[in-house]
Amino acid sequence: MNKIIKLNVGPQHPSTHGVLRLITELDGEKILSVEPVVGYLHRGMEKLAENRSYLQYLPMVDRVDYLGSFFTSYAYCNAVEKLLFVEVPKRAEYIRMLCMELNRIASHLLWLGTFMLDLGASSPLFYCFRDREVILSLFEELTGQRMMYNYFVFGGVRHDVSDDWLCKVSSFIANLPKSISDYEKIITENPIFLDRTLNKGILKPQTALQFSVTGPNLRASGVEVDYRKVMPYSVYGDVDFVISESNRCDSYARYLVRIQEMKTSLDIVKQAVLYLKNNSDNYLTKINSLNLKIPEGEYTSYVESSRGLLNCYIKSDGSPKPYRVKWRTGSYYSVQVLPELVKGLNYNDLIAVFGSLDVIMPEVDR
Amino acid sequence: MNYLYFLYIQFLLNHNIPKIFGDITFPFIPFCIVAAMIIFVVLVLVLLERKVLALFTQRKGPNRVGPWGMFQTIADAIKLLCKQNIDILGSDKFLFNIAPIVVFVPVMMLWGIIPYSSEFVFMNFSVSVLLYISIAALPVIGIILSGYASNSKYSLIGAMRSGAQIISYELPIMFVLLSIVALSSSMNLKDIVYSQLGEGAILCWHVFPCIVGFIIIFICMLAELNRCPFDLPEAESELVAGYNTEYSGMRFALFFLAEYALMFIMAAFLATLFWGGYLPITGKYISEIFFSDNQFLPVFIYFEQFFWLMIKTFILVFLFMLVRATLPRLGTQSLMKLSWYLLLPLSMINFIVIIIFKYFIEGGVL
Amino acid sequence: MFLNKLKAIIEGHFTVFKHSFKKRITQEYPEVKQDLPENFRGVPDWYAEKCIACKICEKVCPANAVRIEKGVDNVKFGLNLSKCIICGNCAYNCPKNAIIMSKNYETAVASKSLLIIEKNSKDNNYE
Repeated sequence: MNKIIKLNVGPQHPSTHGVLRLITELDGEKILSVEPVVGYLHRGMEKLAENRSYLQYLPMVDRVDYLGSFFTSYAYCNAVEKLLFVEVPKRAEYIRMLCMELNRIASHLLWLGTFMLDLGASSPLFYCFRDREVILSLFEELTGQRMMYNYFVFGGVRHDVSDDWLCKVSSFIANLPKSISDYEKIITENPIFLDRTLNKGILKPQTALQFSVTGPNLRASGVEVDYRKVMPYSVYGDVDFVISESNRCDSYARYLVRIQEMKTSLDIVKQAVLYLKNNSDNYLTKINSLNLKIPEGEYTSYVESSRGLLNCYIKSDGSPKPYRVKWRTGSYYSVQVLPELVKGLNYNDLIAVFGSLDVIMPEVDR
Repeated sequence: MNYLYFLYIQFLLNHNIPKIFGDITFPFIPFCIVAAMIIFVVLVLVLLERKVLALFTQRKGPNRVGPWGMFQTIADAIKLLCKQNIDILGSDKFLFNIAPIVVFVPVMMLWGIIPYSSEFVFMNFSVSVLLYISIAALPVIGIILSGYASNSKYSLIGAMRSGAQIISYELPIMFVLLSIVALSSSMNLKDIVYSQLGEGAILCWHVFPCIVGFIIIFICMLAELNRCPFDLPEAESELVAGYNTEYSGMRFALFFLAEYALMFIMAAFLATLFWGGYLPITGKYISEIFFSDNQFLPVFIYFEQFFWLMIKTFILVFLFMLVRATLPRLGTQSLMKLSWYLLLPLSMINFIVIIIFKYFIEGGVL
Repeated sequence: MFLNKLKAIIEGHFTVFKHSFKKRITQEYPEVKQDLPENFRGVPDWYAEKCIACKICEKVCPANAVRIEKGVDNVKFGLNLSKCIICGNCAYNCPKNAIIMSKNYETAVASKSLLIIEKNSKDNNYE
């Protein structure tokens, strides 16, 4: 008699964060193998670009990663700017950095909530959404919408931030540490949480590098690579911050790194707010997006997004439409490494480990 | 019950109805009361749970149907009743249909053995505790049946988990129950309540000598109820809905009903064993102060006793809900470890300590 | 060790319980509506008197949802809301501010045909 159960987890399943399908082979509760099947959320983001002008494609970029719209937006704008050889005004860069860091906090908050829901705790989800709600309201006030911002434009940002808005950001970053300490009280020391995450899903540094895993997952494996620090883009070179890193390599380390990263982001936001309050600039963008003449060439921009390295490759042939746009997103590589992490664990660790990797499907399939 | 029986026969005789009619119909009255109470209590509990969970997460909970959302569960129940019963292809029809009943009937039987007040005991056996142990383990048969008959892998895994869980958590419960039996020198629940009556009021409750036992049995009850953090059989983030994944409509409603009815009755059982059952928290009946001259004083006291039991039960239910809101789900292996390595030895030690306590403090075991 | 674990669990429960005394954050949506910020992006609105029919909005729309038709003495405006992603490109790039993002975000309708908005500068019943 065949004792091995072949279980199709997904594509419709409450905790595959969208439509991921995991073909799992189980012996009782023990996982023998996992094979992720991606592509259920493929929207042809790269092909869409080839039929649209640079400006037309700009709002679509936000949809690549709906939890980190500012990152994808920045990567695309940055690539176009580099192809055009234009400088971005410093104030605009600071606004961009501020937005990206707030977005990172929002993204990590949502990850924390859903991760805890995957583990079975319901309350942290609501607390995280409560705090994320504040960030989204701030974004709504700044950009006009809660998730699809269309705020970064080629060469800068669409409009300036008001002092009133900056004050609201300051009051938010003053309140968030209190909430984070609440989460830590509920989660960090909890023996059940420790039991579910300690030494589960160990991602060795070599494996991580082999699978080109980046972002918090890589930093949790003890490899100190943060593109904000290693190859500073935007104005990250001007601000002080520390890279969060852990040597534990397990799910718990990934949790710790992300919590630490939220605090780091708060530091950066604080410095950006200080700069924006004291400095002003006449321009926020120096180019007219309507009549773009992009010379022939290619460029790959890079952003340290909340889910790892985000690349946007643009090849231009001089026509108004891009010849080729290629996205490299962090989640795609995190999904690939999942089978290595869960081999030999129990079935309920599959969900816990998968949750700890912070994968969102639109970013994987694009 | 004798007093009520006497009143009932008296009432019938006054209307010239023969005694034999009363003898036949009398047993149906408790059945009807229990059935009505289950429906009512479950409707209240479901609403209460949603409200309490909302309370912990700064939400308002259901507030649309009726004032304070009071008719929400009634609306839900009507919806469930009207829904189609979906027959699963390849399922074992007979077992599939009978499983919800097998789960529900033992729960209903359990409602009969609790002394709601010194007169309202529907099944007053001298070995009620033993009866409880044997009946409380029955629903798991229905759960395993449902998992086996559903022809679904999620259901099967959920059912197997449930079986393993009940087996490991029954044993500590029995040892704690034994220590209670030793403390009160009886297996009759009414006698157990009487043994907690004394000058010290609250201090005479069994929870004080047997505090370790209370914590153990509280944890084990959570496990028997399949509630968080022991909700592995129906872990929604892993197994979709566990053993009742394939159920819909009325059959699902029976599972739901059984779950909440069992939760309430286990809380009542705990209150009876440890918190003095229907004895007043104040030490003295309030009715004795207000209605001391009234000829219906005994009736008032019966209702007051019922009231006290309800208060204690709902405090315990509230604790169940607080635990659900906070803790993540245990892992499969640590679930077993917790029971066999910690709770079982601890409950044995507790049993021995209680016997020694009983022997030296109160003199004699029996 | 064991006591530390117990302390952590009790602290967690206490933290969750503490939240029951905080302010409720539920917003009862249809009755109570959120204050919209000044530059909120809702459904695009067209103002015929400003429009010069330059068709830039057609050109920058990523979803091909906007259509402008220039007649002899009138301008026709068509908007397909089932395609529109409310990105604001048309409004931001309009040289005469003839398209402005309104504050209307409740776009649910009973029929698909209601999602296609047609306006003509000759008619006076536009807003």
